[in-house]
Amino acid sequence: MTAQAARVSKKVVLVGNPNVGKSVIFRLLTGSYVLVSNFPGTTVEVSRGKMELGGLSYEVVDTPGVNSLVPQSEDERVACQILLREKPDVIIQVADAKNLRRTLLITSQLVEFGIPMILVLNMIDEAEERGIEIDTQGLSEFFSIPAVETIAIYSKGRKQLLGAIQNVGKPNKLAALYPKEKIIEALQSLATPPMLSIEWLAEGDRELIRTNVELQGAAGLASLKKAREGHKAAGHGSLEKEIGDARGRLLDRLVELHKKKRQSRFLQESGVFKKIWLALLFCGVVLFAWNEAGALLRFQTPFTLFLQWLAGKFGQPSGGLIETVLLGINSAGRFEYGIIPEAIHFLLFIAPIMIPLGVLLSRSRSFAYEFGIFSRKASTGIPILIGVLLLLYEFVGYTGAQTLVGLLEKVLFGQHVIPYLRALIPAGFFAELMVGKYGLISMGLTYAIGIVLPVVGTFFIAFGLLEDSGYLPRLSILSDRLMRIMGLNGKAILPMVLGFGCGTMATMSARILSSKKERLIAIFLLALGIPCSAQLGVMLGMAAGFSQKAMLIVIGVVFSQLLLVGYLSSKLLRGKPSEFIFEIPPIRTPQLKNVVLKTWYRVQWYLKEAVPLFLVGTLALFALDNLHLMGQSLLSWTQKALEPIVSGLLHLPVESAGIFLLGFLRRDYGAAGLYDLARRGMLNGQQVVVSMIVITLFVPCLASFLMIVKEQGMKRALAITGFIVPFALSVGTVVSWILRTFDVQFH
Amino acid sequence: MENKISEEVAEVLETVWTLQEKGIVTLDSVVSNAATTVSDELLGTLSREGLIEVEGSRSVRLLPKGLQMAEKIIRRHRLAERLICDVLGSHVEESEAAACEYEHLLAEGITNSICTLLGHPRYCPHNKPIPEGDCCRQARDELKPIVVSCNQLSVGETARVAYFSTHEHTRLLKLSALGISPGTSLKLIQKWPAYVVQCEETEIALESEVAQNIYVWQTPQE
Repeated sequence: MTAQAARVSKKVVLVGNPNVGKSVIFRLLTGSYVLVSNFPGTTVEVSRGKMELGGLSYEVVDTPGVNSLVPQSEDERVACQILLREKPDVIIQVADAKNLRRTLLITSQLVEFGIPMILVLNMIDEAEERGIEIDTQGLSEFFSIPAVETIAIYSKGRKQLLGAIQNVGKPNKLAALYPKEKIIEALQSLATPPMLSIEWLAEGDRELIRTNVELQGAAGLASLKKAREGHKAAGHGSLEKEIGDARGRLLDRLVELHKKKRQSRFLQESGVFKKIWLALLFCGVVLFAWNEAGALLRFQTPFTLFLQWLAGKFGQPSGGLIETVLLGINSAGRFEYGIIPEAIHFLLFIAPIMIPLGVLLSRSRSFAYEFGIFSRKASTGIPILIGVLLLLYEFVGYTGAQTLVGLLEKVLFGQHVIPYLRALIPAGFFAELMVGKYGLISMGLTYAIGIVLPVVGTFFIAFGLLEDSGYLPRLSILSDRLMRIMGLNGKAILPMVLGFGCGTMATMSARILSSKKERLIAIFLLALGIPCSAQLGVMLGMAAGFSQKAMLIVIGVVFSQLLLVGYLSSKLLRGKPSEFIFEIPPIRTPQLKNVVLKTWYRVQWYLKEAVPLFLVGTLALFALDNLHLMGQSLLSWTQKALEPIVSGLLHLPVESAGIFLLGFLRRDYGAAGLYDLARRGMLNGQQVVVSMIVITLFVPCLASFLMIVKEQGMKRALAITGFIVPFALSVGTVVSWILRTFDVQFH
Repeated sequence: MENKISEEVAEVLETVWTLQEKGIVTLDSVVSNAATTVSDELLGTLSREGLIEVEGSRSVRLLPKGLQMAEKIIRRHRLAERLICDVLGSHVEESEAAACEYEHLLAEGITNSICTLLGHPRYCPHNKPIPEGDCCRQARDELKPIVVSCNQLSVGETARVAYFSTHEHTRLLKLSALGISPGTSLKLIQKWPAYVVQCEETEIALESEVAQNIYVWQTPQE
């Protein structure tokens, strides 16, 4: 089909509940070409793609998930706006066939628009497994719209859907859907969508009312108001309540007529298959626990035995490139980052759990279902959570922060790129700027690409897997009580966990919280004490040289301060927490394609957003170091100015003053500076603990600060920073004093 | 005949009943607790009608006829409290005063209708027992469902949603968008650390306050 033939363009809009496979259907229709953009004036993302069918070209719009078209969130409002403003030619409602009543609520709202529409009952296999039988034909006839059963991830039902798009017609009028309801008369003269418009008006949804007026004129609004008042004046109850009741009766009747529930099949699924893999998973967990406990309590484990055997075999490396890359032995003769130790690490820690888990989740529905139950109960959920966190640590803290950082920073940059460039560029200002002490490449790029990227990258992969599996909402249940202490509810755990990835992204995601008070507290706590993965990775690397005690003290202090500050701010700030009503999606096998795409988008975002800041930061440091005032560089002046605090109160070396300054540009940048100091032997155990606490509690990085300004306004952003800086320094001072007074040793 | 008893008589009978729940009833305690002035004349009327018996000057006892009457008054009062608390969503303290007004107005038939509407509750909002009416006994025999708050269900139990006792429209919309609305059935599947209910095939986590505000028809076990 040529481009000329496909000139007429029609618009298809996808609408549906969250987690029903809308984006899978979207990809099924449009292929790969997608344009993701924010809906004007909001941060809600809307994907658009193109499709050609029967000589026509279609624009396909994927709207954010909605539970109802009477909006309770920004996402739902955007979906309504798209339906009103973009005047689609076809609406495709994508639905989870298991949840018929919720589906039909949206169907009953969509038909009001009078636009040709299709009902897609997706995941029909899951419904069947649970013994749910749906009379698709009956529903189709009732609304007079095509209804298609699909299993989108296997492309089942695609042909029927494409056929339906070409033969779609207008749905039945309201009078035909609600034959016995009296309110229909009152709605007859109103503009579309009549029932929804009344509900929007009753909810006082200014934005949608305004849109309605824009599209229908002020007369439309006046007639809505008149209908509501007229209805009351005629001695009836409120019109919106009667609309809600009428809808409820319609849904009851439809569910009663068109849905049958039999015994669910999938839980009786038998099989040696499941048992074998369960046994393997059990062995994997035992092996993992053995390795972890050994690392903590210092006894022999398969991992240490393997490494010893390896050291015996290749004890004296020649220092050649291949050997360095493969073994990664440091000057102390320990394996630090080699590919072979990493392979052993992967085979002993990650693979024994992830492989059986992946097989079970993808092949056994009953396992996925049971796993969902176990991970939300307190008794089993907390051990599972600890396991998840340890796995996350193994992947981000070892594979990312040790192996990948070692290979990139030490081998690639440290042994090859930088020496090569140093030899290439003639000594002078330019060489200093690029590869000097505070060089753009030797410091800026090395930190950004060599240290932070591998850590952030591995975290994004892990977070993508957790996100896609549906595990995270279960964390909300487990953490609800804890978050309540801080004036938040379980929902707030999501931005907090994301904060361990990237504080800036997390600050933005605090929008999912419903009340202003909660958003402020969450953003405040993120700025105060949640280290991002880059910073965390660097800190873990630093702590690896010291005892576990150091890390435990850091975690304990930071966590207690978070609780304390959260508790106080929940008492001091006015407003009440929003209620906790939260849908828990089923556990599903993560779609690798999805995870890869998400990670890729996030890494891209990191490269675009953070790397320039790294370079600016290095440049600023370079300038401070090279501009001289009265015989001394500005850097040493700044360090002098901060000296009373840094060495007087915190008892840290003077150099760390510059590092705290850097910490404002990127926290991890500051942490990386500390790492450097520690590695050069300039920090003792106590100083490592104090500096890690201060850099964790210290101001958010520049990017998060700008995001806080955007979300909460300049005044609040300054107030938050104004609290955090002295607070972080005081906590550091107290901890430093305690450690010195009691002469706590770490080694 | 019942309707004709004066408010003072009803007040005294109610006081004696309430005190009896706590222990021994003395004349002094009746005088100090009744919401009306207990004159000798009033006490005389009560004894003459065969409603109460005053033994010596200390102890007061309800006679069978008085007992029957007091039971009905108490039942009306406590049902009215439940009605005001659960359906109208008022506070427990507020319900008390209003219930005092209602108890004199409700006829027997209406009392039973309210009792049925509320699902034959066994306790008032202050956790005192509500005397059973004919309707309760009948309902129990027929194994009719009763209305309880969602957090009173035990884990694994399925029930149909009766009504919500909240005025927050936003909460109602949120719940109904997730599929919880009067008439739909839900299953309580977890109570701690947060409530989790299953509605159709969706699992929904709720904080305890929200769960408490959802009233459901409980199907009694055997």
